[in-house]
Amino acid sequence: MSTSVSQAKVLICDDSMMIRKKMRMLLENYGITNIYEAKDGKDAVEKFAEVMPDITFMDIVMPEMSGVEALKAIKATTPKANIVMATSIGTEGNLTEAIKYGASDFLQKPVEEERLVKLLDHYFKEV
Amino acid sequence: MFTQFFGSYLLNKQIVSAENLQKAIDLKSSTRVKLGVLAINAGYMTAKQVDAVHKMQATVDKRIGDIAVEMGYLTPAQVTQLLSAQKTGCLVLGQALVDMGCLTNEEFEKALNSYKAEHHLDDEDFVAESTQKTGAVIGSFYDIADKKTDNSELIFEYVNILFKNLIRFIGDDFTPLSAADTSGCKTALVQKISGGFEAVTSIMADDAALTAFASRYAEEELTENDEYTKDVVSEFLNLSNGLFTVNVSNSVGKELKLSPQQVQDAADVTAIKAKYTLRVPVSFPFGTVIFSIAEL
Repeated sequence: MSTSVSQAKVLICDDSMMIRKKMRMLLENYGITNIYEAKDGKDAVEKFAEVMPDITFMDIVMPEMSGVEALKAIKATTPKANIVMATSIGTEGNLTEAIKYGASDFLQKPVEEERLVKLLDHYFKEV
Repeated sequence: MFTQFFGSYLLNKQIVSAENLQKAIDLKSSTRVKLGVLAINAGYMTAKQVDAVHKMQATVDKRIGDIAVEMGYLTPAQVTQLLSAQKTGCLVLGQALVDMGCLTNEEFEKALNSYKAEHHLDDEDFVAESTQKTGAVIGSFYDIADKKTDNSELIFEYVNILFKNLIRFIGDDFTPLSAADTSGCKTALVQKISGGFEAVTSIMADDAALTAFASRYAEEELTENDEYTKDVVSEFLNLSNGLFTVNVSNSVGKELKLSPQQVQDAADVTAIKAKYTLRVPVSFPFGTVIFSIAEL
């Protein structure tokens, strides 16, 4: 990725206020400052189009529209979008479906800082 | 998990009071398991022999292990082995109750042996906590197999994962209770499971207990049962249910689905007509939280 950490835009899509708050803290610890939030799948699609984030973290179980549906919708308009599924419901079926629709990675909830850092390093250090 | 169910066992058999059990749980972190309790657990000494050694120690300035060897109760090798043995949670809890004077060594011996016998447990089980054995303890505690459900295995697994998550994310200082009193509960956080196993899962408690539960999970000091508190508790439900669906998907290849969580009136949730409902009340120092799974 050519964007630097300080300039990167990251979108957190999760219906839980607590998860959004915790993720925001972890991302800030990493040095990311442009953080955006969406509270359901529909909101995620809208915010994505508005912000055009470099990385999107997407929960699966959400009201209005599921994370997998939102992934499909975003990928249809922006095939290059980097979308990481962040969920506790990482069943084989869900993961296979998410990969099929173009998810770039998977993060098991509860999100461990070490794992998140590794994932972000992968995006920012691999030019 | 066996420690928590040992607490329930002591409570249900009226061997200790709820108040003393909670005190002992609070004392666990500062309790050191002594040789006597270890020897009783290993079956090397009877409680009477331990009492005799303690009596002798009051008159001579020697270590308990040396006295036990001199009195012919233990070999030096057994002393070494006991001192290096794993101090499992049941033993720490038992020692705390003995130290508090709530249990004699003899009462502890009897309770521990009957708990082990009832659930076919040995020391290795206490260390390994295999899913099969914890499932069996949960099954007999809640009598799941006798009830009208064809999905008792899934329900075992559900409760098993729930307890593991409580230990991991909330704390191990709880005791599962057998009778649920939902009268003080106003709010319930609810999530539906579907896809070959249709069920409604929920968490309910009175406002104070729900807020304290959320504080522990969020690792933040929350003071009232507001929108954020409900959000935190429902996220715990979503996490535990998510891990349950992953396990079920891995073990039996069933792909279950979860609906987004909802906030409902506790009374509406307790009134749900289900094929089978299991309520799992859990007593924490801050109050009782009731987890339910209702198979539709």
